[in-house]
Amino acid sequence: MSTTVSFRQEIANLLHAVEGNPVNACMQCGTCSGTCPVGDFMDVRPQRLIRMIDAGLKDKVMATRAFWYCASCYQCTVRCPRGIDIAELMYGLKRYTIWRNQYPEDLIGPAFSETFVKNIVRTGRSYEPVLATSYFFTLGLKEMLAEAQNATMLMLKGRLPVLPARIKRLENFKRMIKRIIPIGD
Amino acid sequence: MSEQKQLLIIDDDPDFAEGIKSILVKANYKVDMAHNPKEGWAALEKKKYDLLLLDVMMGRGAEGIMIARKLGKDAKLREMPVLIITSIREQMAFLFPGAAVHPNFVDVDELVEKPVEPKLLLDKVSTLLKLSETKKKK
Repeated sequence: MSTTVSFRQEIANLLHAVEGNPVNACMQCGTCSGTCPVGDFMDVRPQRLIRMIDAGLKDKVMATRAFWYCASCYQCTVRCPRGIDIAELMYGLKRYTIWRNQYPEDLIGPAFSETFVKNIVRTGRSYEPVLATSYFFTLGLKEMLAEAQNATMLMLKGRLPVLPARIKRLENFKRMIKRIIPIGD
Repeated sequence: MSEQKQLLIIDDDPDFAEGIKSILVKANYKVDMAHNPKEGWAALEKKKYDLLLLDVMMGRGAEGIMIARKLGKDAKLREMPVLIITSIREQMAFLFPGAAVHPNFVDVDELVEKPVEPKLLLDKVSTLLKLSETKKKK
C-alpha cells in the first residue's frame, strides 16, 4: 500500500460515492467555465480549478473562494462532456474546507449554511428572516437599506412569512434528524 | 500476546492517519490504512482485523457512523471492537453546544476526540483488544 496520498486522491476519496468520472478525466474543454452563471464572480473558474486539483496545488485550491460562489445550478455537471460531477466537486470542496476550518474569514457561505442547517434542525422549515440576518450585517449601509426595503415589500405582499412556519409532528422529524446527523444534546 | 495484532484505520485525512499509524506501528501493531469508506469496507470484508479505528466525517457526511451501523448488522464483523476517533465537535461546532457526543447515536465501544494523545490512544487500543479477547474465550 502506498503511504502518501496525493491531493487529487484526497478529493477522489471525498467524492467516493459520487456517480461520474474522477476529476482527472477532465480534458480542459472549458464548457463548465463557459456555462457557469456565476463564473464572472469567481476568482478561479471551474475548469482552472479542476486543473489545479489535478496538478496537486493544494494550498492554491484552499486559498480560492471560487467554490463558495457556486450556486449549485448543476449546469456544468449536465454539460460536461467527460461526465464529471463538477457541482458535487464544489460541494466536496466546501465540506473539505469547513471540516478543516480553512475557509476565508469574510465569506458569507459558511455562516449562511450554518444558519440554514440550524434552522431546519430546530423547526423543520427554513425561515427567511432569520436566514437573511446571517449575512445582513456584512452588507454596506446602502445595501442594507435596500435589502430592508425589499423585505418589507415582500412581507406586505405576503411573500415573506412574518412568523416561522411550523410543521406537523416536529418531534418525529427531530428524531429522524438525530438518526442522520450526529447531533449532541 | 505473541502474535502481532492486525488493526485497520479508516480516515480520509491522510496526515492524521499516517500519524496514528506511526504511533501504533511503534507499539508493535500491524496497521493497514484506508482513506475512504468504500475502500475501508472492502478491506474489512477481505481480511480479518482485531480492531477498527474509525473516523466519522468522511465523504458525504457522517459516513463513519454508517460503517459502524453496518458492522453491527454483520454477524461476522460484529465481534470486532471499534474505536471511533473524531473531531466532529470541531468540524460541526454549531451543532454541538457543549454536550457529550451522540450518546445513543450508534453502538461503539469507545470514542476519542481528535487531537488524540499517543498514550491515551495506546491505552484504549490495548484495553479494547484485551476485552475482545476475554470475550472470545468465554
